[in-house]
This record gives sequence, C-alpha cells and structure tokens, in this order.
Amino acid sequence: MKPQNLGRQSPTSRKLTTGCEIIDGCLRGGFPCNSLTEIVAESGCGKTQLCLQLSLCAQLPISHGGLDGSALYLHSEFPFPFRRLHQLSRSFHQSNPSIYANHNDNPCDHVFVQNVNSVDHLFDIMPRIDAFVGNTKNRFPLKLIVLDSVAALFRSEFDNTPSDLRKRASLFFKISGKLKQLANNFDLAVVITNQVTDLVESSDGLSGLRIGNLRYLYSSGRRVVPALGLAWANCVNSRFFISRSNETICKENDESGRSSVSIRAQRRLEIVFSPHLPGSSCEFKITPEGICEV
Amino acid sequence: MTETSRLPLSSSIRGKLISAGYTSLSSISSVSSTDLARDVNITEAEAFDILKLVNQISGSNGSSSLINGAKNAWDMLHEEESLPRITTSCSDLDSILGGGISCRDVTEIGGVPGIGKTQIGIQLSVNVQIPRECGGLGGKAIYIDTEGSFMVERALQIAEACVEDMEEYTGYMHKHFKANQVQMKPNDILENIFYFRVCSYTEQIALVNHLDKFISENKDVKVVIVDSITFHFRQDFDDLAQRTRVLSEMALKFMKLAKKFSLAVVLLNQVTTKYTEGSFQLALALGDSWSHSCTNRVILYWNGDERYAYIDKSPSLPSASASYTITSRGLRNSSSSSKRVKMM
Repeated sequence: MKPQNLGRQSPTSRKLTTGCEIIDGCLRGGFPCNSLTEIVAESGCGKTQLCLQLSLCAQLPISHGGLDGSALYLHSEFPFPFRRLHQLSRSFHQSNPSIYANHNDNPCDHVFVQNVNSVDHLFDIMPRIDAFVGNTKNRFPLKLIVLDSVAALFRSEFDNTPSDLRKRASLFFKISGKLKQLANNFDLAVVITNQVTDLVESSDGLSGLRIGNLRYLYSSGRRVVPALGLAWANCVNSRFFISRSNETICKENDESGRSSVSIRAQRRLEIVFSPHLPGSSCEFKITPEGICEV
Repeated sequence: MTETSRLPLSSSIRGKLISAGYTSLSSISSVSSTDLARDVNITEAEAFDILKLVNQISGSNGSSSLINGAKNAWDMLHEEESLPRITTSCSDLDSILGGGISCRDVTEIGGVPGIGKTQIGIQLSVNVQIPRECGGLGGKAIYIDTEGSFMVERALQIAEACVEDMEEYTGYMHKHFKANQVQMKPNDILENIFYFRVCSYTEQIALVNHLDKFISENKDVKVVIVDSITFHFRQDFDDLAQRTRVLSEMALKFMKLAKKFSLAVVLLNQVTTKYTEGSFQLALALGDSWSHSCTNRVILYWNGDERYAYIDKSPSLPSASASYTITSRGLRNSSSSSKRVKMM
C-alpha cells in the first residue's frame, strides 16, 4: 500500500471542456476527471443538451480540452434525443474535420447510448460497463460516462417510509461508490443529471435544508430543491445548478419611436458546491449548434 | 517543574518539601529522616516514608512512577499543556478548539456537503507542515481520500498561500536579521502529504491496519485525515451489528495510533437525517454507537449566509461556536464584524 506522490503528478486534474468558453471559465477548465459531477435542473433547462455536447467534446484531443476518448451515455428517460445528437454531431464534425479525416468515421460513432430503466438494470449492466471501459481495442478509449438522469431511476420504486428511504440511500452510495471506483481506475469524467422538485415546506422542515453556496435555488420563478435529498447530495463531488428564468427586454424602436418588449429565456449555471471552485455563476444560451455564451 | 513536584505525594507535603528547599531527589536522600522531619515540619513516620520512596525511585533509574506505565495527574497536565496543536488558519476556530486541533486525540468533524470538510482537511494537511520556527509542528500528513474530493490544484493553492504567509511572518520576525531563510516551496508541501485513495470499505480497513507500520517508518507524520470516514460504510451492510463492530475496531485503532505516535487524527463525517422525538433532525452519520468513538466532535453548519463550527463534544473544551470562511487561500476568519465566537 503505497501513497501517491502529489508533487510528481500534474498540478491540476484533467478537465473536459464543455465547448462553451464562458462555462469553461466558470469551471476553471471544465468537468473534472476522476470525479462525479452532478447537474441539477428542471426539465427544459439544458442538462441533456450539455451532456450531449460533453459526449462530443470528449473526442477532442487533450490539447483542445478534450479527453481523446469516447463517451457512454446511460439514459433513463425516454425518448433519447437521437435527432439532436445527430444535429450536434454534424456541426461538431464540420468544426473538427481533422479528427475524423483519416478514419472516415463521424462523431456519433463514438457516443455509445444505453438505456437504463431501473436501479436493478443499472447494476445488471455494470459488469458490461467494466469490460467496456477496460477495452483498449476501440479507437477511442472510454473517457466519459453520463447518467441522465439518476432521479428517473428512483422515481417510482420507493415509498416514503423510513425503511424504504434507508434502502434507497444505501443504493445511492452503492451507485456512487461504483462509478467513483471506475472514475478513479480509468481517470474518467462522470456526469450525472438530477431533477428538481418544488419545495413544499413540510412539518419536518428539512426539505429546505441549505446545501452549498446558494441559500435558495430558483428556476422559472419557483423555489426548487434537488431531488433525492441529503443522502444523494453526499454521494457527488460537485453539484452544478442550471436554472431558467424569463427576462424581459425592452427595446427602443428608432424609426417609429415605439418600444417593443420581448421576453427571452435566460439560462444560468451556478456552482452549488465543489471542492476546487468558488461559488460563481454564468449565463449561457442554447443554439442549433449547441450551448454557447450569450 | 522540579523533581520533587513529580513525586506521588500529597500536595501539602510536597509543598512543604519544596518551600523548605528540597527540590531534587538527591537533596532529600542526603539527609536522615529525623533531620528531614524537623526541617520540613512533618512527622518522623512521614519523613521515613518519603525517604523510602525517594530511594526506591532513585534505585529504579529515576523513573518517577511506582507502577510501570502509570502517570500521576501532574505529569499528565504537564504533557497536555505542552502538546502541540495544529492551527486551522482561522483564529476564531482555533480559539474554540483550545489553540487548534490537538495531537494525541481523535477529532471528528461533520457537516452537510459543501460546508468545507474537505477544505479543512486540506488546510490541516498543509498547516501541520509549518516549521517549528514559525510556531508549527514541522510534521507530515497522511490524507486518506475515500470520496475522491481531494483536488491537487486546490491543495497547491492552499500550499502557495501558506508559503506566502510564512514568508511574511519570517520577514517580519527577522526584520533586523538576514531576510532569506531556507523556505518551504509549495511543491515540497505537496510531497509531504502521503495521499491514499481508497475505493471500498475493505481497502479502507486494510489501509487502517497498515498505518501502524507506515507511521513507524515515517515518524514525522503528525496528522492523519480521513475524508470521509463514512462514505464506504453507508452501503451494503445488511448486518448493522457487523458494521458497528467494524467501525468500533477502526475507531480503536485510530485512538491507539494517536496515542502511540502523538499525532492528531481527524475523521471527516457526513450528516444524515434521524427521526427522533417525532421529527427529522440532522445528525452525524454512522449511528449512536459511533458517537462514542471520538474524543472531540465538531459540527459544521450554516447560519444564514455564514459558515459556523460548533464544539459538540470535548472532554476539556466548553461548548462554543465560531464562524469561518473559505477563501481562495484556504480557511480564514470570517470578515463579519459581529461577535464571531459565541460561548454557550
């Protein structure tokens, strides 16, 4: 049992770029390898968009912020956005032709999609994931695992009784432990998405418990909390929150002197907690080409 | 502390001996019991017992204990007061801890995710290395990472800030003397942290069993940090009694390590919700039986927008809370002007 020599390894952990400069800046490089990062957001905020983009960016060379690797996309929500993946892939291919020129393949070939419909199913496919990660015959070794979303796996199977909640919590730690072990053994980046639930202040008063840099999480004008509670929050290394709000923009129309009002959906990524990042946030938007700065 | 003051005698007799000038064992053994009794104003029988005791002690190579290994309270107080402590870099937190994290103790620190447990762990593994000339221990650290939260770039950031602070301190202290001492570099600080990553509870147990040998070979280790003690024990144990047994054995091993090598053990813990008295409360994880395993217990929590630390359990420290912040340089005092340290 020998300790690692921290002085002799790289002074920063490897990061996976998000493909969006402003988010990369906020995250000091991107999503870290050998770490479990959670993206919490309500539906329609862009978690899946960001995950699709990450799956493609993984194929970038390390010099460009990529991992020179392929991605495994485990999805528990239906349907999987194949069309959007192809759209992003075409755009990615156009921007990075050199990666694929010599091999006559395209970015989609290196994003492996697997559906997971329950917790048991996830544990059933773990051995296959182990084998897949260790497989060195692929052109790109596996470097990113996305689980979209963890909340959907637990949606309907557990009641609200203390014993069921305990069983559920122990499954959280089992999943997290297994993914962290993979991340450590193969230096993978692991990204897990989670949903939010509306905060209903109940008699036990712990649903509003503050976890991280933000006292309150707001999205679409409502106060929300990440799903799966305190137990799951203990299982991830970093938590990012994406929110959506409507911003009213008043524009002056010069010719006729009239002003017009338009409503723009504003998307914001905030760091709730992370061992190496201070609390900060940034704004982004979603275009046909993907996620980029405003 | 004179030799006489370490004798296992009643304090009144000891006081009389010392004020009469009998401060060393040899001075006592050089007189007869009659002379001693008259000089010190005690009975001859008492004087005779004292001489017998002194001769016994002098005979057994100057050891000042009657039973091998036993210590009197004076010795223990003396030792405890001279025990070094590791600063947290936050003076408010240090003051409620009695000066810092104490060596020879197991201290548990728990709190919600994002409150700063890993930050404190990294800060301590850097601060233990502060050289003695700057008021530190000049030791090394063992960091056992069970969760993968340790980021080298963050440790480097904190190490760089520590080196800058030390340079400022030595520059100030040695203003009139030569300015450039041999300084630690941030990379040296990283190399002095023995970092272990464990990915399962079996690895964790194996490592803890191995620590005695490792520390015997690396005697300058002065702090062992486990981040977190909990993670691998919150899954898969169908038999809770077995889990309790394993955890108690581990706690015992840590206590022995702390005492044997005079180092500080810091166990970082998670929080969970516990259903007591009809409502859900926050509690440190691992259950009630675990709460007996540590000497000191510190709970980190949010109070409004400020981070606070609270002494939940300690044999010698009063219950108190203090606020702290986490900056790019590491743990520091919070800048709010309101009273930062509260005694309970």
